[in-house]
Amino acid sequence: MDKIKDILNKYETEYVEDYKSNWVKAKFKNKEDLLNIVKDLKEAGVKTCSTVSPTDFIDDDKIEVNYFLENLKDKKNVWLKVDLPRDLETCEIDSITPLMPSADWHELEAYSTYGVKFKNHPNLRYFLISRDYYGKFPFRKDFDWKEHEKNLIENVNSISEEFFEEYEENEETFDKDGSRTVLHWGPTHPASGPIRLKVYVNGENIEKIDADIGYVWRALENLAERKDFIGTIVAVERICFMDNPNPMICYSQAVEEIAGKEITPFAKFMRVILGETGRIASHLISMGGFFGTMGLQTFLMWCLDIREYFLDVLEDYSGARIATACVEPGGVRYPLNDYKAWFETLNKAINEWERVKGDIEDIFLKNPLMVSRAKDNGIFTKDDVEEFYLAGPIARASGFKTDVRIDEPYAGYGELDMDYVTCENGDAKDRLYIIVKEVDQAIDLIKQSMKKIEQGVEAGEMNPAKDHLVRMPRRMPAGEAVARVEWARGEMLMHLVTMDKSTSPYRLKLRAPSVNHTMVLDKLISGKTLSDIPLLYGSMHICQGDLDR
Amino acid sequence: MSVGAALFYIFIFPGLLFLLLWTFFIFYFARKTLAYVHKRVGPHFNGPAGSLQTVWDVFKLLTKESITPKSADPYLFNIIPILTPLVAALPVILIPWTPLINHGHGILDTNYGVLGLVVLIGVEPFLLFLTGFGSHNKYSFLGGMRILSQMISMEAPFFLAALSPALLFGSMNLYDIMYSNTYLTTLILLPGAIIFIIAMLGILEQPPFHIPDAEQEIVYGFYTEYAGTNYVLLKFAEFTEMLVVSAAAVTLFFGGYRGWGFDSFLWLFIKIVLLGILMVAIRASNPRLRLDQMLKFTWSWLTPLAILNLVWIIFAKLYILGV
Repeated sequence: MDKIKDILNKYETEYVEDYKSNWVKAKFKNKEDLLNIVKDLKEAGVKTCSTVSPTDFIDDDKIEVNYFLENLKDKKNVWLKVDLPRDLETCEIDSITPLMPSADWHELEAYSTYGVKFKNHPNLRYFLISRDYYGKFPFRKDFDWKEHEKNLIENVNSISEEFFEEYEENEETFDKDGSRTVLHWGPTHPASGPIRLKVYVNGENIEKIDADIGYVWRALENLAERKDFIGTIVAVERICFMDNPNPMICYSQAVEEIAGKEITPFAKFMRVILGETGRIASHLISMGGFFGTMGLQTFLMWCLDIREYFLDVLEDYSGARIATACVEPGGVRYPLNDYKAWFETLNKAINEWERVKGDIEDIFLKNPLMVSRAKDNGIFTKDDVEEFYLAGPIARASGFKTDVRIDEPYAGYGELDMDYVTCENGDAKDRLYIIVKEVDQAIDLIKQSMKKIEQGVEAGEMNPAKDHLVRMPRRMPAGEAVARVEWARGEMLMHLVTMDKSTSPYRLKLRAPSVNHTMVLDKLISGKTLSDIPLLYGSMHICQGDLDR
Repeated sequence: MSVGAALFYIFIFPGLLFLLLWTFFIFYFARKTLAYVHKRVGPHFNGPAGSLQTVWDVFKLLTKESITPKSADPYLFNIIPILTPLVAALPVILIPWTPLINHGHGILDTNYGVLGLVVLIGVEPFLLFLTGFGSHNKYSFLGGMRILSQMISMEAPFFLAALSPALLFGSMNLYDIMYSNTYLTTLILLPGAIIFIIAMLGILEQPPFHIPDAEQEIVYGFYTEYAGTNYVLLKFAEFTEMLVVSAAAVTLFFGGYRGWGFDSFLWLFIKIVLLGILMVAIRASNPRLRLDQMLKFTWSWLTPLAILNLVWIIFAKLYILGV
């Protein structure tokens, strides 16, 4: 920590201060210093850029750019801030992508939505947004959404024009008699989900992959700004339905931090149970989908069958199976009048998993054909993890010990007994096995939390019928906060900015892991054959919901 | 052969009507058994236990519009779906189906039955390659190329395995082979039968060799552009081929329609269905192989094993059967 502070103090800064247990927050004055600071930090071990988040302060006529840089090994993180002029011509800063490749797409996103130009970015282009938003920078506070939506027909036409232009360009580039061509893998493809991979192939061999994303871009970050603090959970949970409760936990933590409230112990352990249930529900789909990419649907069906039991748990608590809206700032949304009955549903789900687990291991996880395809295929080393910031299960499959639940404990995780689960090789097979291990870990955590709640109720410390929620103020003070959770697919980071006496978030940056996991697809798949696309793509457990937001 | 008999063979059994009924049956059977393994229900609403579902499905597809894409070669694109089921149905005349027809022989009783079977089954995939070629679509073409390379590598072990009963019994006549088969020879032919069944999975594009129409990789392979009637015809050809190849396997290695107590078409059918269950079980538990893995497997394992199997057959003929 001191080392980082020493580095930052060398430059002209407005302030350098500690933030939470393992962050240093600093605002520097000259934007020209950025590259040097990042270079020094990289030598000190802060090698990874989590995300780049601009905030548009229209009243002060400035755009504040936040850099979240992380040291994944020592867990010492840096939050850098710098002010830029709001004017489109001069709103410009050096790109850190040449130093930290993990910042690549995050900078593109900041450019497309806020118009912050990044000098010397290897390929600065409009990204994520569709063509009708090109050059309009929709997340700026002065962008008029209503005016934009009036020209609906022209907007749609401009999108289709883009496709035709691309088609004609391809026709010209590729020789008709050769074996080189570009194949579109998605967006209406049996295994892709709403994403388009432009696969440049020579026969069956892949030369390059170019991902075209934004097919489910819902501008959730902007949507959050139009809702009140409770209503925002509905926008936040729609990041991805597979793991539903964890994004809400993340957002709630940010709000609680600004409001300065502490939640009850009962709510803490409820968050653990709900979060882990969501993680299991997500992992079961990922596991099944992994085999689905190789043309075997049986395992997917079995996983969906078990998943139903875990969705029963969520339904019994919140009334909804998928979009639960069960966590809100101040605790969890509903009281548990009969906690024993709910625990019974939980135990039923856990027993179902443990009953089927043996069969799953024998039939599918040891399947020789799967092993022959996935073993030593698409390997990520520990250096790749730091360079591209592969998060969560993908990093742990390579043996990298990173887990927000342990590095920066939130909810009840600090009081539970848990350790990093890791695999060794970092190939596609390990990325499947790590998920099975994590389901086991999640079940262990659920059991521990259930015990804690039972003990708390017996000792009279917890009251499930009353303790679920702490009253939150309707209007928030001015402030900003960063909250992180370990989501099913990796680290989720939310950066929340509020204004004084506001009723809705001023800016909410959602950082989700699938962005980086899609970014590395080119490196992962180039040089392989067509058959490897679905397998390796499936092994990254990408969800387009959190990719596009 | 009288005109009446010829018409009966062509239109009723083992011709058109029988093949249609078989298509409905195997389609339904595969869906229902697969659903059982998947912990689903499968076809449910139409007919008893959903048995009419596939019939409605086929007729729904028949009433749909057959679209010929602008870029496709219209002649090739539309002629192949007519040719494929015809070629797929041709080997039907070689197989002895039941003791009631032609005194238990195939309709065409020839001394080159095995050869005819292998050649007629082997022609089919080249027609499917032409569908991919005629579609003029990137995915279809890749599917066509894949089917071609899969076929070339699968045909060798398929042919060598089919040769083993002919070598053992010294005859290429299917009727003779069937009646020469005893429990002992079935055991001797077992390695050949296993190789034949594996190669059969490859020829029928069944898992784990469903590489040519790998949905997740190349959409639907050579089927991609087909819809409506053309699609039904291609599917009909696929199921007919499945019947013919399984019937060939049963006739060559497992005694055809011969059974315990009495000889009947029923035994042949039961044996084919058992093979079908084996195929569904493999489909339900194994993922797809990569193209290069398949090539490596067939050329460095299956083909040499098929040749070794011939050595074993000759050894068994000389020293076990003592001919």
